[in-house]
Amino acid sequence: MSTPDRAPAAQPAMAPRATPYTGRLRRLTGHWGPAALIVLGLLGIWESYVRLWAVPKWLLPAPSVIAMTLIGSRALLLDHTLVTLLEVVVGFGLSLLCGVLLACGIATSQTLERALYPFVIASQMVPIIVIAPLLLIWVGYGLTPKIIVVALTAFFPIVVNMADGLKSADPDAVNLLRTMGASRWQIFVKVQVPTSLPFLFSGLRVAMAVSVIGAVIGEWVGSSQGLGYLMIRSKPQFLTERVFAAIVMLSVMGVALFVLVGIIEQHVIPWWHNEQRQRSLK
Amino acid sequence: MKQVSSNAPDEVLRDAKVRVEGVSKYMLQDGKPFAVLQDVNLYANAGEIVSLIGPSGCGKSTLLNIMAGLEQPSSGTLYLHGHRAEQRLGMVGYMQQKDLLLPWRNVLDNVILGLELRGISRRLARARALALMEQFGLKGFETAYPYALSGGMRQRAAFLRTILPEQEVFLLDEPFGALDALNRAQIHEWLLGLWETLHKTIVLVTHDVDEAIFLSDRVYVMTSRPGRVQLVQGINLPRPRRLEMVTTAPFVAFKTQLLAALRQEPAAAARDGKQ
Repeated sequence: MSTPDRAPAAQPAMAPRATPYTGRLRRLTGHWGPAALIVLGLLGIWESYVRLWAVPKWLLPAPSVIAMTLIGSRALLLDHTLVTLLEVVVGFGLSLLCGVLLACGIATSQTLERALYPFVIASQMVPIIVIAPLLLIWVGYGLTPKIIVVALTAFFPIVVNMADGLKSADPDAVNLLRTMGASRWQIFVKVQVPTSLPFLFSGLRVAMAVSVIGAVIGEWVGSSQGLGYLMIRSKPQFLTERVFAAIVMLSVMGVALFVLVGIIEQHVIPWWHNEQRQRSLK
Repeated sequence: MKQVSSNAPDEVLRDAKVRVEGVSKYMLQDGKPFAVLQDVNLYANAGEIVSLIGPSGCGKSTLLNIMAGLEQPSSGTLYLHGHRAEQRLGMVGYMQQKDLLLPWRNVLDNVILGLELRGISRRLARARALALMEQFGLKGFETAYPYALSGGMRQRAAFLRTILPEQEVFLLDEPFGALDALNRAQIHEWLLGLWETLHKTIVLVTHDVDEAIFLSDRVYVMTSRPGRVQLVQGINLPRPRRLEMVTTAPFVAFKTQLLAALRQEPAAAARDGKQ
């Protein structure tokens, strides 16, 4: 496969059957179809189980009831979702900033690496559920303790991935720049940082997923708003359908943020994705 | 002694653009030092092309790394433009065997790398590169990324990147190794045409005897382990060189001589081992 043409290589992998669908639609249904079928199937079983056995709403609400709650309490749900979203976005941003700076320090200085890495690891060893109430005592209610909890959960994958990425620069490329008279800073900016970006984005996707969990834990420990708070408050009232509605909102938010990171990644490092695609065709 | 080993009179050495004098390099293997290079002498004057040939493992690449400043010799001296040069990074153009194009930069931004590092604005650097794209067979591929290029194109892009900062000395480490014979012959003529207009000094490492004779003013044949210069052969074929020359009697005579030197090398190594 020495020719750079991509089209012919893709041909044999396509389904040989002729269908009325366009290729794009077929790919989409082929991609998401199985997952959608499983979800629909599970919802169907759930719905019929609840109805056939007449399970009380406070024990297990039917999907239809949850859907009604989503529509009926949309204003309330949206308010709390926005609070949680704010905590996640600000906390994530904070950990991105701190994580990247920390990783740069770790990757460029052995002394800094030895000094800082133990603390980075230790920060993950202490359970968030222990730290969260302490934060409450130290910085009070409000958004700040939640943002700190989110930042604490998110920054570990960011630091570790980014530091590894910065350190995995091709030594031959580094030498090439040295022969061109590059300074250490130029090598860092022009080789190490671009090399680290695919690593960073892997870390960001993990960080995004865990930061939603972090926000909910922060809210559980003590808060007056947010989806986590809504769950905690709805449970003793036996508003189980609202707990489920909050879970749905949380999932939708988490997936949307995860997808957003992927979209940003596509725009920041398009060369990486094109190269991966090229490699997979060979 | 110096003159004899470098095969050149004193005044030539003073004019040399690049000169390696008595360079040895020792490395540790299993805790014991062994010689990679031993007392290597060579020089290249302004506008000369000199070639280094020898079996693999004779330290050719190490020698180029030392000349480029990536490594320091264990003993010996290097001169650039007639001056002792302890610090050589950024003073010579060095093209390694791998093209080392950066995957996150398109062709245009890859080739301007050297200019950019010298603080020349991207706009100006791009303008200078664009003017040379056609000559390097890269026209129309300015915005393509390295993964989409053929091996030959990647090599030419790496070559353009080496040449753009306008150094006076270029070190080329098997630059055409990835090309087949036909492309090679073409690129040799192309390179000589380019070289005649630029008038730069080139030190070329190759394992191809034909390539060495065709391109060079002088060929250094090296022995392996430790790497030493066993033969210096001036190539006084007229310039400009033409492809037809490879079948002429003088060319064949040079080739016979160099091949004989390369063949006798293992015997010489065995003899040295007994000493």
